[in-house]
Amino acid sequence: MRKKHLPAAAFLAAAALALTACSTGGTDASGTGSAFEVSAQPKTKAATVLDAPYTKPDLVLTDTRGESFDLRERTKGRPTLIYFGYTHCPDVCPLTMSNLAIAVKQLPEADRDRLQVVFVTTDPERDTAEELASWLPSAGDPSFIGLTGDFETIQAGARELHIGIDPPKKNPDGTVESMHGAQVIAFSPKTDQGYVFYGEDTDADTWAKDLPKLVKGEKP
Amino acid sequence: MRRIPRRTAAALAAAVAAPLLLAGCGSSAAPELTVSGAFMPQPVSDMAAGFLTVENTGGAGDRLTSVTSGISDEVSIHRTEDGRMTEVDSFDIPAEGSLDLERGGNHIMFTALKERPEEGDTVSVELHFETSDPITVDVPVKAATHNPEH
Repeated sequence: MRKKHLPAAAFLAAAALALTACSTGGTDASGTGSAFEVSAQPKTKAATVLDAPYTKPDLVLTDTRGESFDLRERTKGRPTLIYFGYTHCPDVCPLTMSNLAIAVKQLPEADRDRLQVVFVTTDPERDTAEELASWLPSAGDPSFIGLTGDFETIQAGARELHIGIDPPKKNPDGTVESMHGAQVIAFSPKTDQGYVFYGEDTDADTWAKDLPKLVKGEKP
Repeated sequence: MRRIPRRTAAALAAAVAAPLLLAGCGSSAAPELTVSGAFMPQPVSDMAAGFLTVENTGGAGDRLTSVTSGISDEVSIHRTEDGRMTEVDSFDIPAEGSLDLERGGNHIMFTALKERPEEGDTVSVELHFETSDPITVDVPVKAATHNPEH
């Protein structure tokens, strides 16, 4: 009798083993929450009209020609888009600039001349006026304004627009980690206030649709 | 009538049971990786980003540990969080899950490009894993604004 049951017992033992292996795999699969963290990126709605508009920061920085640029004075009464980013940024910064460039090219010339697209570096040590001058036309459009200067000044200006940026962090291996802002802020030519912000996943089509309104200071 | 020796019978039973049960799991106990949706936005400077999905249909997890390419000697993998990208040692590729490198998120970064590929070009990239053999991917270069999520 006992002898006859042994193969069955062995079968069960093997089954249990295999099931254990299987369930371990299952635990791994469900236990790696990182799988979801990796794929889940928060998506921002393209345009958000601000209930309480932002005052344009009083920033005086250096432009791509190495000359002083007073943001309030130079963009007064003109539709203005401001973005904080850095040129050693492989993805989001050039994507934002490229999307904007495509949309800007679709505007009538008069609107294109009035619109000011301002890229303020978050990594002024590496992003000199010369660096911005070579990167911006390639990543975006030659008409875009690039500004650099003192990091603390830039950070304070960004903070006024509720954009948090930390100073670039230097790693022991020599690499530098910089930060870009998550939004582009649109300032109205009528009020000079920041009244709409756009998330970083805003595509060229959305910009092309909204820019004609932003140029007039209208809500998108 | 010959009796089957006890040990042989047990081994036989186990041998029959094991593959049966493994098949019942729907996957093997090793990672099985496939790569899809790879692209590189046309670079605007001497750096570039790469995006792709690694799907793992196997019953065991794996990790993307490094990336190499003839186009750059400095290729790294980055996690993106709140506007900051941080280099990581590896990315998890869970069993019966996937690793999604996508715009605005985690990505492969190529710095000090030896040449600037243009839209329409193809860049050969080799992915290295903790367990699986390396996979070579011909990555198409797309427009700077290419974003399949949109």
